[in-house]
Formats: sequence, C-alpha cells, structure tokens
Amino acid sequence: MIRDAIDNKIIELIKKNEKISNSEISRLLGIREAEIAERIQNFSDTRSKILLVDDEIDTLLPLKLSLEAEDYLVMGASNGFEALELAKANIPDLILLDIMMPGMDGYEVCAHLKKDPVMKNIPVIMLTAKDAVREKVKGLDIGADDYVTKPFNLNELKARIKSVMRRFGDQ
Amino acid sequence: MRIRSELIIFFLVISVLPLSAVVYISYNYSEGAIRDSVRATLSGATENTGNAIENWMDARKDDIRVISQLNVAVESPKEQFKDYIKIFENEHQGVYREFYMLDPSGNITFSDIDRTGNEGQKSYFQEALRGNIYVSDVSLSNISDTPEIIITGPVRKNGETVGVLAARVSLENLYRIIEKIDIGKSGEVFIVNQDGDIIFHKNRSRILQENINNNFAVKEVTYEKNGINEYVNYKGQKVLGSYYWLPLYRWGLIVEKNIDEAYVGVLILGKVMVAISLFAVMGVVFFAVVISGNITRPIKSLEEGSMGLLRGNFKPIPVTSVNEIGRLTELFNSMAGELLEIRKKLEAKIELANKDLEEKNKELTCANEELKKLDELKSDFLSLVSHELKTPLSSMKISAEHLESEENIDNATRKELLSIIIRNIDRQTRLINDILDLSKIEAGKTELHLENVSIREIADASFENIKQIANKKNISIILDIPNDLSSVMADREKLIIVLNNLFENALKFTSGGGSIILSAAEDSNSIEVSMKDTGIGMEKEKLEKIFDKFYQVDSSSRRKTGGCGLGLSISSGIIRAHDSVINVESEPGKGSTFSFKLKKG
Repeated sequence: MIRDAIDNKIIELIKKNEKISNSEISRLLGIREAEIAERIQNFSDTRSKILLVDDEIDTLLPLKLSLEAEDYLVMGASNGFEALELAKANIPDLILLDIMMPGMDGYEVCAHLKKDPVMKNIPVIMLTAKDAVREKVKGLDIGADDYVTKPFNLNELKARIKSVMRRFGDQ
Repeated sequence: MRIRSELIIFFLVISVLPLSAVVYISYNYSEGAIRDSVRATLSGATENTGNAIENWMDARKDDIRVISQLNVAVESPKEQFKDYIKIFENEHQGVYREFYMLDPSGNITFSDIDRTGNEGQKSYFQEALRGNIYVSDVSLSNISDTPEIIITGPVRKNGETVGVLAARVSLENLYRIIEKIDIGKSGEVFIVNQDGDIIFHKNRSRILQENINNNFAVKEVTYEKNGINEYVNYKGQKVLGSYYWLPLYRWGLIVEKNIDEAYVGVLILGKVMVAISLFAVMGVVFFAVVISGNITRPIKSLEEGSMGLLRGNFKPIPVTSVNEIGRLTELFNSMAGELLEIRKKLEAKIELANKDLEEKNKELTCANEELKKLDELKSDFLSLVSHELKTPLSSMKISAEHLESEENIDNATRKELLSIIIRNIDRQTRLINDILDLSKIEAGKTELHLENVSIREIADASFENIKQIANKKNISIILDIPNDLSSVMADREKLIIVLNNLFENALKFTSGGGSIILSAAEDSNSIEVSMKDTGIGMEKEKLEKIFDKFYQVDSSSRRKTGGCGLGLSISSGIIRAHDSVINVESEPGKGSTFSFKLKKG
C-alpha cells in the first residue's frame, strides 16, 4: 500500500495526539472531514482497491455495489481526468476503464497511465460496448491487460479481475 | 557503317583494284622492255666500241704496212726517213711512241729516238720477218710505264724482206674510244687477253698486274664469246656486263655497269608507277569524299530532319538538288509538315482527354473520399448504435445480476438498482423508437395524420417535456407565439417530436444563463416557426451535416450533451414529409436559429 504526503501528515498528527478528532485534522490540513475519515479508514483497510471508471452512472453504481460485495474497495470516477487524479492519489490495485467517455476517452487514460513511471504497473481492464476486433487490439496495444465487452457476465468480470490481480501479484 | 565510308570504300575498290592491275601489268611490261633496251644499248655500245678499237688497230696496222712499203723507208737516207717519221708522228699525236727498223738479225738499225739494241728473239720480230703484219702482246712501256703494243711489218726490197719496221703504239688513245661508252659512276670498261689478264683498264696500275679469269664475263669472252649478262663482279657487286671478243687481237672487251645504275630506268619506272598509283588513289579518295559528301549531305539533312521531327523541333530541310534525293527531301518536308499537323491535333486531343481524365480522376477521388467517409460514418454509426444499445443493456444486466446474486440488499439499494433497470429500459425503448422512426422516414413510409394544429398548443406540450431540463440547466425558455396565430395543417404528434428535438438540441448547446426563444409568424399561406438559442453556434461548413444521422458537431461532446445524433435527422425527415424544410442559421459563439414553414390549415 502506497501512501501519499497527506496520508503521512495525518499519521504524524495522530502519532502526536492519539485522541485528535477528524474535524481537528481537517482543520489543520485544510482537507474535507469526509476525506480524512476515508483516508484514516484506508490506513487499516487491507482490501484490494479497484478504480472503476465509467461515465454511465447507471453502470458505475451497480458495478460498484457488486464489487464491494466481493470485498473490494471500489473508487468511482465518471471521466478520464478524475480517473487519472484518483489513480495517482490512491494507486489502486486494478483499474476498470470504460472507453467511450466525454473529454478524455479510455484509450487516452490508459496511455497516460502506462507512461507514468508509478502508475504503469497498475493492471487495467478495459470495459466497453465496443466489440470490434480492431478496437480490442487497439486497447491491448495501448497497454490494457484485459478487455471485457458490455454487456458482460458479472461473474466472468469478477473472475477476470481475480486473474489479472493474481498475475500482477505474482509479478 | 556510314554511307560515306561505304561509298569511299566502294570507289576505292572499283577504281584502285583495276588501276593496280593495270599498273602492275604495265610495270612488268615496261620493266622487261627497259631491261631489254638497256641490255641492247649496252651490248650495242660494247660492240661498237669493239669495232672502233678494231678499226683503230687496223688503221695502225695499215700505217705500218704503208710506211714499210714506202721508198723513203727502204731507199732514202736515215735522216730523211727520220724526218718523215717525225712528221708522221706529229700527224698522229700521241699514238706512236717510237718507230724503229731492225735488220734481219734483229739489230736496231734505225730508231727515231736513237735507241739501239737487238730484238731478234721477239716474236713480233720473227713474225714480221716471215712477212706478216704482227701485233705484239700488250706490255708496259719501259719509259712511261703505260701500256703499249708493238706492231711490226716486213720491209721489202725487190720482193725480198730486208728488215722489219716496228712501231711502239701507245694504247692511251683507246681511252678516247672507250670513254664514249656510258658506264655510269661505278661502271668499268676493261680489256683482257686470252689468259684473262687485264691489258687495258682505266686504272692503269692494274694493267698486267691482275688476272680476273674467275669473272663470268672474262670466262665467257676468253671462250671467244660475245654477250651480255648479270653477274657478280670481282668486287662482289652485282653488275650488268657486256663482253665482246676481238678475234684479230685476241682481246676481250668487257663493259660492266652497276646493275642499279644500269636499270635505273626500272627503278624510276617503279617510282613513277607508285607515284601514279598513289596520286590515283588520292584522287579517287578525294573524288569519293566529294561525291559521297554530295550524296550523303542531303541524306544527313534528312536524318537530322527526322530526328528533329522525332524530338518535336523540326525545321524544313533545304532542298539543294533536283535529283531523286531533292524530290525525296521535298516529299519528306511535306510529309513532316502533315505529321506535325497530325501530331498537334493529336496532342490537343490528348490534352483534352487528359484534362477529361484528370477531371474524372478528381471526381473519382472525390467519390472515393465520399465513399470512405460514408464507410467511416457507417462504421461510426454501427459503433455508436452498438454502444448506445449495449450501454443500457449493460447497466440493466449488472443491476439485475447483482439483485439476483446478493441476498442481503437493503431496500434503498434494491430500489435504486430497480430504478436503474427501468430507466435504462426507457432509454433503450426511446432509442429503438428513434431508430425505427428514422428508418420509416428514410424509407418514405412516414404516415402523417394531418389535421389543423395550433402551434401554441404544440409549443406548450413540447415545453412541458423539456422545462425540467431547462430549469436544471438554468436556461430560460421564451415562447413568443401570437394568440391569434392561425392553425397549420400538420401531424400533431410528429410536430411535437420536431419541437422536442429542436428544444433538446438547443438545450444541449446552450450553457446555463442562456435562453431559447420559440417564435411563430404567419404570412398569407404559411406559418414560420423559429427557434433561436444563445448557444455555442457552429461553423458554416458544419451546417450541411447536422441533419445527418448520428452526426455530432463534436464527437467528444456526445456524452456531455446527451443524445445520439438522431433528433435533427428525425425532425428534418418529419418536416420534409410536410413538404417543407428546416433551415438553419448559425455563427460560432452567437447561437443558432432553426426555422421551418408549414401550410396554414
């Protein structure tokens, strides 16, 4: 688990004063209290983190629920920029990435991830309604580790997630 | 090979070969004739000289015969005879060296140089005493060391020989005779006796000193033969030698001439022949060059003209002769002119054809581009349809699967998941309806239920549909429709769809705080409905395409703006079904205005 500078500051504050409240930390660091709570919860969370990126809220929500039921810690992003920010801040164990999104599409997000020295090792599974072979090839060429076309079977997706994670865990 | 070279070779062959043959034969004949002539001349000269020598010698013998029979020699006192002899010697200047008389015993009884002695043993004395005129062998004078002979004759008195008259005769006089023979620079004339001893030679020191009987001519002449032949002389030089036997004196006269000098005429003839041949060859070459030049020059001009014709820079060839080539040149010029004309026409045609082809090519390229675009559009369209159909399916499936697999789901979550499913069913239904509508419109199967429709009523209905979104986006909608506006003849439901689509489109591209004005105005026949927004507007080149299926001004704006690009296509199709068109005016940053006219009811 990789921690960023904010996490380190929070840990320092807790070390100084074990009884410090979340609101106090929020005030001292100028960060929302909800985020402080989430970060503190993450310190002790050993679940695998999955970043789920899809502009369709109606897809994002049920998928998040399903994966959380599988005991994953799921973060959602509805566009490419948000996805890159979250990925950088949290370094998830896996990214489920939709391709057709406004602004920055999934190909661009994947390309950015694979260029970044830290994030390039995060496995990426492309999720998309595009099922032409050339699009699959394009996604794999850019650096995606797997490719699942919509509509998919939830169990199949879960199995692929485990497979990819296992492969990367071994590495 | 060039014609000129061929002609030169041809002329050389037809002229030089016969010429060479003629020269060769002439030379051979002439050479033989010259040789014969030279030999004849030399042998003639030798014979003449031999005769002259004989005559001269005969004269000397006659002199002795005459003097020996004179009274003055027999009868007169010695002094008187001496005077006579002196006078005689003077008359024959240099011929006689001495006259003397011998008695029958051989004693010299008289000498005009007062010499004494006895020569009784000498053969010339004994022969004369027998009554013969005798000529001695050649000997060298004791006094002058020059060759001389002694001629003796008997002196008779009363029929009886009383003594012998002898005269020493210098042979120097023979030089005068033989010098008349042309022997050249290195030729030799000499006389040999029967033994082969030289008894007369220009080089006096050789006289009676050398025997050259190994010489061919000497051998021949000592066999008393006359003749002429070529042989190598005692000097080792090849000579033409003529020999003549003087039988009375047993002398052989030999005239030798260096063979080259003798046959100088042959050499000159050879040189002349070679010179003539060379001159002839040069003349032939010169004439061949000139003639071939005359022949090939117009051909060369024709060749250059042909090349010019080939390269397209033809200039008429000057006609320099009236012969066949001249006529050929004229023909060529006229033919070339015609060819150039044809070429120009052909080039013009080719140019036209090329232009035509280029245009066709451009058209084809454009058509190809269009086809490519169409193909891309088709792919894009399929991809979009696929995406648009699958996305809601995917949402529904995940939600349904989650509901099915998880037992402990709280009510709120369950409700949320169900509403996702319902919402996506609606979305998919709408999309399918849109696609079906559009298919009908495109197939021309739109059924219109025409009736009198109030624009106000339609506008209100449509406004109801979109007011929630407008409020959410903080966009004000203004309906500027006069209350007394006439009704139009239209399909109510479809017209609502048109207005809905136009509103949705305007809402998509208008940001918060903006406004959309729906207005209507009538003229005598029709009512014009306009919708003006304060949205982002578009460039002119995009205006033509906005009614295409699935066309998005900016493909990345699809999700941001919603819809899948079918609304304007459907609306345009519906208005077209009403025998009208949707017009659009737009400018980037200044909003767009969509308008259409409908017939009054």
